[in-house]
Amino acid sequence: MENRKVWDPVVRLTHWGVALGIVLNGAVIDDESKFHTRVGYTVLALVVLRLVWGLVGSRHARFADFPPNPSASMDQLSDMVSGRKRIHLGHTPLGALMIYNLWASILLIGLSGYMMTTTAFWGIEWVEEMHELFANWVYFSALLHVVAVILESRRTGVNLPRSMVTGVKSVPSEKV
Amino acid sequence: MKSGNPILREGVGLGLLILAQSFAAFFFLSDIFFDFIKQGSQIFNSGDTSHLILEVAAAVTLIASVGFEVRYLIRLLLRQEELTRGMQIASGALHDLMQAYYADWRLTPSEQDVAGFAIKGASIAEIAELRGSAQGTIKAHLNAIYRKAGVAGRGELISLLIEDLMSAPLMNGGVASQNAELGP
Repeated sequence: MENRKVWDPVVRLTHWGVALGIVLNGAVIDDESKFHTRVGYTVLALVVLRLVWGLVGSRHARFADFPPNPSASMDQLSDMVSGRKRIHLGHTPLGALMIYNLWASILLIGLSGYMMTTTAFWGIEWVEEMHELFANWVYFSALLHVVAVILESRRTGVNLPRSMVTGVKSVPSEKV
Repeated sequence: MKSGNPILREGVGLGLLILAQSFAAFFFLSDIFFDFIKQGSQIFNSGDTSHLILEVAAAVTLIASVGFEVRYLIRLLLRQEELTRGMQIASGALHDLMQAYYADWRLTPSEQDVAGFAIKGASIAEIAELRGSAQGTIKAHLNAIYRKAGVAGRGELISLLIEDLMSAPLMNGGVASQNAELGP
């Protein structure tokens, strides 16, 4: 086994910050409270920071390292169903799609949330509906994300949650 | 796998359908769950029973169809896998067969090279270009190859290989039966 440094501190901080904020706002904090708004803006700030980091960050943090790729994603699905071990050092193709999905959805939740605080859109139903719909979508996506991380950790034998904490992936030397 | 591949397109479409339907199922289930938390067992007494029944029915049918779609997608991916593997074995076998014949016929290295191109379907002009030699030289090589192999021309040379490939079982007959299944 070989230890490879893959996730820099910004990637890890924004990942867990966003995850915490989403759990807090969805399941813990009262929707009507001021705290809900503050947490929401914090999550937005973290996503924006991560997006900037996607341009200037370390190797595996950059967008160029994980472009959306349908063909590679299908290949990864094939690997998953046939149980073949192919290890990606950075984000996997399916993981990349999930990341772009989550960023876009979170930005839309933030936008609709902000609109609800403005006089022009306050109390307008479709804005609230949009906020809720995308919130539900993010919860669904997060569930899928967690399931996929567990399945992929078992398939590849690389502990993915731990690597998002420590920043290091332990991979078999010959696979790199 | 190239983009524009029909299996890729089908797989991506199926994946999107699975996502949309499982999201809808998730939505209904969470709605039922929160109604239940709010109302407890009252949920069965309230006038909204038809709403509940409808939601449960929708969720169940959605989950069932997602199950079928996932199974279909897995089959699709596995079939693609097998085809790719079969192709690799077939091309490996062709390569081995060609090498064996070359040794049998005592082709020189240049003749082996030219024979390889000829079997792949390159024209004399193309082979000359690829090898950086004159067309006359290539013609001479080809004549030597046909003479050593005892065939009249390129068609017969290729037939030799194909005949051997078809009579030899690849992958314990796996590829042959797969190809038969694919059919026209």
